[in-house]
Amino acid sequence: MISTFMGLETAKRGLSTSQGALYTTGNNVANANTLGYSRQRVNLVQTSGFPTVGLNSPRVAGQIGTGVAAETVQRIRDSFLDAQFRTQSNKIGFCGAMSESLSKMEGIMNEPTDSGLAATMEKFWNSLQGLTANTENSGAREVVASTGVMVADTLNYYYKSLTSVQTDIGDQINVKANEINPLISSIDQLNQQISKVEPHGYIPNDLYDKRDVLVDQLSQLVSIKVNNVIPTDYGRSSDVAAGLYNIELMQEEGSSYVPPINLVSVNQTGMVGTSKVEVSYDKTTGMVDGVKFGSKTMTDYKFSGELSGLINNFGYKKDDGTIGGAYPDMLKKLDNMTTAFVNEFNAIHKQGYALGDSDASTLDFFEIEPGKSAAQSIKVNSEIVKDPSKIAAGAKSGGASGDNENAKLLADLKKKAFSEYSTKDQNSKELTGSFDTYYSGIIGKLGVDSQSAQKNLSNSVVLATSVNQNRDSVSSVSLDEEMTDMIRFQQAYNASARMMTMMDEMLDKIINGMGTVGR
Amino acid sequence: MRVTQSMLTNNLLSNLSSSYEKMAKLQEQVSSQKKFSKPSDNPVAAMMGMGYRTNLNQIGQYQSNIAEATNWIDSTDDAISEAVSAMQRIRELTVQASNGTYEGEQLKNVAEEIKQLKEHLITLGDTQIGGKYIFNGQDTNVRPSSVKDGNGNTVYGTGDINLEVFSGISLKINTDGSKIFGDALAAGGSIDQTIDALENGGDVSGTLAGLDATINTFLGMQAQVGARQNRIELMTDRLKQQEVFATEILSKNEDVDIEKAIMDLTTQESIHSAALSIGAKIMQPSLLDFLR
Repeated sequence: MISTFMGLETAKRGLSTSQGALYTTGNNVANANTLGYSRQRVNLVQTSGFPTVGLNSPRVAGQIGTGVAAETVQRIRDSFLDAQFRTQSNKIGFCGAMSESLSKMEGIMNEPTDSGLAATMEKFWNSLQGLTANTENSGAREVVASTGVMVADTLNYYYKSLTSVQTDIGDQINVKANEINPLISSIDQLNQQISKVEPHGYIPNDLYDKRDVLVDQLSQLVSIKVNNVIPTDYGRSSDVAAGLYNIELMQEEGSSYVPPINLVSVNQTGMVGTSKVEVSYDKTTGMVDGVKFGSKTMTDYKFSGELSGLINNFGYKKDDGTIGGAYPDMLKKLDNMTTAFVNEFNAIHKQGYALGDSDASTLDFFEIEPGKSAAQSIKVNSEIVKDPSKIAAGAKSGGASGDNENAKLLADLKKKAFSEYSTKDQNSKELTGSFDTYYSGIIGKLGVDSQSAQKNLSNSVVLATSVNQNRDSVSSVSLDEEMTDMIRFQQAYNASARMMTMMDEMLDKIINGMGTVGR
Repeated sequence: MRVTQSMLTNNLLSNLSSSYEKMAKLQEQVSSQKKFSKPSDNPVAAMMGMGYRTNLNQIGQYQSNIAEATNWIDSTDDAISEAVSAMQRIRELTVQASNGTYEGEQLKNVAEEIKQLKEHLITLGDTQIGGKYIFNGQDTNVRPSSVKDGNGNTVYGTGDINLEVFSGISLKINTDGSKIFGDALAAGGSIDQTIDALENGGDVSGTLAGLDATINTFLGMQAQVGARQNRIELMTDRLKQQEVFATEILSKNEDVDIEKAIMDLTTQESIHSAALSIGAKIMQPSLLDFLR
C-alpha cells in the first residue's frame, strides 16, 4: 500500500533539489570572474524506489520512484591540467627572472651603441693614434688622458650599475623566500580546515579553490608536485573529496629529490608538518651559499622557479668554493679583461719615455686599487691627468718630441691577442682573443643567453596560456550555460510546484469531496 | 571544446597585448632605423656589428693618419723642389761666373747671391709644419740650424717617425735632413768652395762637378719622396674603398629596411584595429541578451 502523501514528498524533493541547483547556478554566476573559481555542479541522484526489498514490503506492481536528491555539490576541475599548468608556471617563474635580469644587464652594457665600452675604447684608440701623429702636441696628450678617463669611467659605471642591480636581485630573493613561507603555511592551514570538513562527508569546494590558487602561486616560485592524500582514518568522507595536499619539492627536470623533500607533508596518518624555506648567505662573499628547506640544505639550486632564477642571476657559492651566477660571471669577466689590459698597458707604458725624459717612465697609466675589483677601481693616474706630458709616447731615451714608437705600441694593444701579452702569466686563463674580440664575445654571449631566456619565457607563456585555456574550458563559468541551467532548473521547480498543486487538488478531492455519495 | 566568456576575454586580452608588442617593436625599428636595439634581439648581428664598427672607426682614424702623412710628405717634396731650384740657380751663376767675363766686383755680387741662396737652403732645412721641424729626425721641436758641430756644420736630428696607415702597415713620414742638406750645407762643401773661389777671384769651373753631385742628391731624395707619395695615394684609395665596403656592410647588418618596416607597421596596425573591433563584437552578446 502506498501512502496517500507520498506524491507530496516526491514533489517536495523536486522543489528543494531544484532550489539547490538554482542556488548553485546563482553562485556560479556570481563567481563568474572570481580568480581560481571552478564552476560547481549539483550531482542529482534518484532517491531509492518504493517499496524497498524486504519481508514486510507491500505487494505492489513495482518500485515507484520517490524523487530526487542533491547528492553532492562538486567542482568541475581536472587535476591533470593543474599539474600541467604548474609545470609551465614554474618555467615562467624561472625564465621570467632570468630574462628580466639579463635584459637589465643588456641595458647597462648598452651595446652596440655610441656610448658603450666598445665605442669608448674606439675613442681611446683614436686618441692614441692621434698621439702618434702629434707626439709633442699637448692637446693630443690631453685627449689621450681624458679618453683614458672615459674608459675608466665606463668600466666604473658598468661595475656600479651591475652591482646595484645585483643587490636589487638579492633583495628580491629575500622577498620571494618570504613569499614562499606564508604560502606554505596557508596551504597547511587550508589542509587543516579541509581535514575538519571532509570526514563529515562535505565537499569544501571554496577551500579547494583557495588551496589551488595558493599552489599555483607557489609553483611559480619553486618546482613542486602535488599528491592528494586521503588518510586511512578519515571519517565518512565523500567519494569526490579531494583529500589533503602533500606538496613535494621537485628538480627542474621533474624528478624527486632523494630522499624526497616535502614542503607540506601529509601521509596516511594525517598531516605531518611543513618545511620552512630559508636562504643563507656566505659571510665573506655575500653570495647565496644554500637554501634550507626545513632541515635540508640545498646547494644545487635545481628546484627551478623564480627563486632559483633569481639565485642564478645574483650569484651563489658552488660546492668547490667558486662563485657562479650571471652577474658575478659578468663582473668577473669584466675584471679579468680590465686587469689584463691595465697590466699590459702599464707595462708598455713603463717601457717608454715621457716627453724630454732620459729615464724610462715609472708611471702607471691606469691605476687599480689593490684588493678591489679592477672594473670598480680603475682610474687614470692622477699625475698623468694633471700633466699629460708624462705620457710615455717615446721608445728611446731622451723622449724626443717626434718619438711615437711607444704610443704606437700602446695603440696596438687593443688588437693584440691576450696570449701575446708580456704580462700574460698574471692573467686569467679564460681570456681568449684580443680585448676587442673578447669583449664582443662577452656581449654576444649575453645576447644569446638573454635571447634564449626570452624565447623560453615566451614558449612557456604560450604553453601556459594554452593549458590555462584548457583549464578554463573545463572549469570556468559560461554565462550561457548558467542561463540555460537556470531555465532548466526553474522549469523543473515550476513543474514540481505544479505537481504539488495537483496533489493538493487530489487530497482536496479525498478530504472534502469524498463520503457524500447520493447527497 | 567548451568555450566560455572568460576564455574569450582572456584570449582577446593576450592577443591584443601580443599585437601591441609587435607594434612597439616595429615602431622602435622605424624610429631608430635599426633592426635591433639590444644584443638579445639578434646576438650574431650585434656581435658582428661591434666588429664592423671597430673596422669603420679604424678606417676613419687611418684616413686621418694618412692626411697627416700626406701633409709631411708633400711639405718635404715642396722643400726639396725649392732646394733643387736654388741649387740650379747656384749652378747657373757658377757657370756664368766661370765664363771669365765678370769683373772682380761682379764676381763678389755673384758670391753674395750664392750666399743668400745658401741661407735659403738652410731655411728650407728648417721647414716646419704645425710647429714641427720635419727634417730634424725625431727631435721635431728643435730648429736644425741651431745645432752646430765643431766645424760649424748643422747637426740634423735622427730617428724615423712612422705612422700607422693601415692595420699593421706603418709609413715613414719624415726624411733624414742630413741626407738631403748635409752635403750641400757642409762647411767646405761644394757651395762653400764656389763662394770661396768667387770671393778670392779663383777659377770656379772646378766646383761645378761638386754642385752637380749635390743637385743629384736632391733629385735622388725627391724621387724617394715621390715614391712614398705614390704609396700614400694608393693607400688613400684603398682606404676610401674600404670605407665604402665597411659602411655598406655595417648598414646591411643593422639598418632597417624602412619601406618594409613601415609596411609591416601599417599591416600590424590594421590587424590590431581588426582585433579590437572583433573583440568588441564577441564580448557583447550572451544568452542574457536574447532572454527577455
